[in-house]
Amino acid sequence: MSNVILSKVNKIYGAGRTGVHAVRDLDLTVNDGEFMALLGPSGCGKTSTLRMIVGLEAITSGDIHFGGVRVNDLEPRERNVAMAFETYALYPNFTVEENLAFPLEVRGVPADERRRRARELAELLRITEILTARPPVLSGGQQQRVSLGRALIREPAVFILDEVMSHLDAHLKFQMLFDLKRLHQELRRTMIYVTHDQVEALALADRVAVMSNAALQQVGDRNALYNRPTNMFVADFIGEPPTTFIAVERCDRAGAIELRAIGADIVFDVAAERASALDAHGGRRFTVGIRPQNLYPCDHDPRMAGKVVINEYLGERSILSIVTGDVTLRALVPPETRLAPGDHAGFSLDPRDVMIFDTESGVLVA
Amino acid sequence: MAGEAGFEHRWRHVRLLFLAFLGLWLLFTLFPLYFMAITALKTTAETNLTVPTFWPEVFAFGNFAAVFAEATNFDALVDSFVIASLNTVLSLVLGTLAGYAFARFPRQAGGENLAFWILSNRMFPPVAILVPMFFLFDSTPWGTDSIWSLVILYLVFNLPLATWLMMVFFRDAPPELEEAAYLDGWTPFRAFFRITLPLVLPGMISVAMLCWIFAWNEYLFANLFVGTDVRTYTIVIPTFTHGSQTLWNLQMAFSLIAMIPPVTLFILLRRYMVRGLSLGVVKG
Repeated sequence: MSNVILSKVNKIYGAGRTGVHAVRDLDLTVNDGEFMALLGPSGCGKTSTLRMIVGLEAITSGDIHFGGVRVNDLEPRERNVAMAFETYALYPNFTVEENLAFPLEVRGVPADERRRRARELAELLRITEILTARPPVLSGGQQQRVSLGRALIREPAVFILDEVMSHLDAHLKFQMLFDLKRLHQELRRTMIYVTHDQVEALALADRVAVMSNAALQQVGDRNALYNRPTNMFVADFIGEPPTTFIAVERCDRAGAIELRAIGADIVFDVAAERASALDAHGGRRFTVGIRPQNLYPCDHDPRMAGKVVINEYLGERSILSIVTGDVTLRALVPPETRLAPGDHAGFSLDPRDVMIFDTESGVLVA
Repeated sequence: MAGEAGFEHRWRHVRLLFLAFLGLWLLFTLFPLYFMAITALKTTAETNLTVPTFWPEVFAFGNFAAVFAEATNFDALVDSFVIASLNTVLSLVLGTLAGYAFARFPRQAGGENLAFWILSNRMFPPVAILVPMFFLFDSTPWGTDSIWSLVILYLVFNLPLATWLMMVFFRDAPPELEEAAYLDGWTPFRAFFRITLPLVLPGMISVAMLCWIFAWNEYLFANLFVGTDVRTYTIVIPTFTHGSQTLWNLQMAFSLIAMIPPVTLFILLRRYMVRGLSLGVVKG
């Protein structure tokens, strides 16, 4: 058991002008026993990061420490990390039991002890009935469990899961999410979970590290990512349906600050404590982000109003798309909302839910 | 419904055509074998008839013993077996290691061009290097007339094939399995032998078959290189042709005996052959 500290880690594939900067100055601390998710779209550098942590990829520059020990120059087998692969990577010539016991074999654990621990783990993962089967005949979910088991059988300092649910169907995924969370709560191991799926990341992890374009964007728990995203990328990437962004212009009136949407008749009030942040930042043009969850249908004196173009019924909720001027807003509403395309709809919102970003850099201003 | 019936009808034609083709093909391939077998059982007089017989009048089983009247004829089969087997082992060991390097470390191993160059060594006509090779091996301490000269020479033909095929098989073996083994605590060397090698074993067996059969059947170089201390069975077969006549029956009997080892091997290993040859073809 140990923490994982990445400091100023870089990965460059190739060299010179053709080199690809896959990970840029990554600083990240995963605490002892923490469940950290590494979240980002494909090609953001999360898999390179993970391969550097386990030692399958050389680090171009920077340091990685496990529990105070620098592991840069250690072989994967010397780092005491365990990994569950996206493709499961089960040894096809071995039975499930042999697959589970394989990491113990090389450590000189006697055969009967290996067998005992494999069976113990099989019970935990509910795969006892397939112990004598070989991987090619197993279902995706079963292979997934075996690969988790193989990683769990020894006590690794760090436990890494690489996109382990991307090949499971929705129902199975739900079950695995539950099982993984339970496993972590029972074992309290340091776990790093790599995924492109925010639902998995937010459901499982104590904290989520969001990556994009080879760089870390934000590390935080669900609330921080959701309510205080550091930039427009995080605001857009986290949350379903995604945040609506509206270009606005600052108007000062009688001591109060208003943000007026460009190309639509929407006005956002800015509270005094946020006004100082806008003053400090300077400039007149900003981008406002509103989460669809934070718009409430309101018939009387709405803050914004427009024509419904789509009403997507999703069972437990509906997504309305509303056009006003040049702006298309999305709002999450109760499923019983009976608004048809062409209807007029009004919404109110809490001014504190409005996120204000710098248009150029995308950084959160207030 | 009419359309479906027409479809069925057309399919029957295709099937008939296919069977006719198969029959013709079998005739062409099996007839020589058949004629070989019956000739081996004929008396010498019967082989010399102007109008050939298609079934022996008398079964001369003694032919199979007569071919070994010359005691060295049996030694020739042994020599061939030793040469083919040693060459196969060498081809497999070197080809497997080289193929693995090309599959997993293409840049460090010299890249696609080098791999192609190695394969291209299989493409020139062997006779083109016949004379240079003779002089080359003649200048070695053991000379040309030795088991080792042919064992090493046949690498020229078998090693490119083994390297290339093993490279294809290793490319099909997922690298994550080795990576998983590294993380599980295994050294690259042990992971290779425990995990990857068993995966390509069917492929290795088919490569071994191809190498062994090439070395077993080789005649051109053997004829020029060896003959006194070492004799392969392929250079014994022509010795049944004498100045005045050819002992067709003995020649065919000896050829049939020479067919036994490869055919036996093939029957024993055919399961692996089929799997091995389809390894590189079928994509997940």
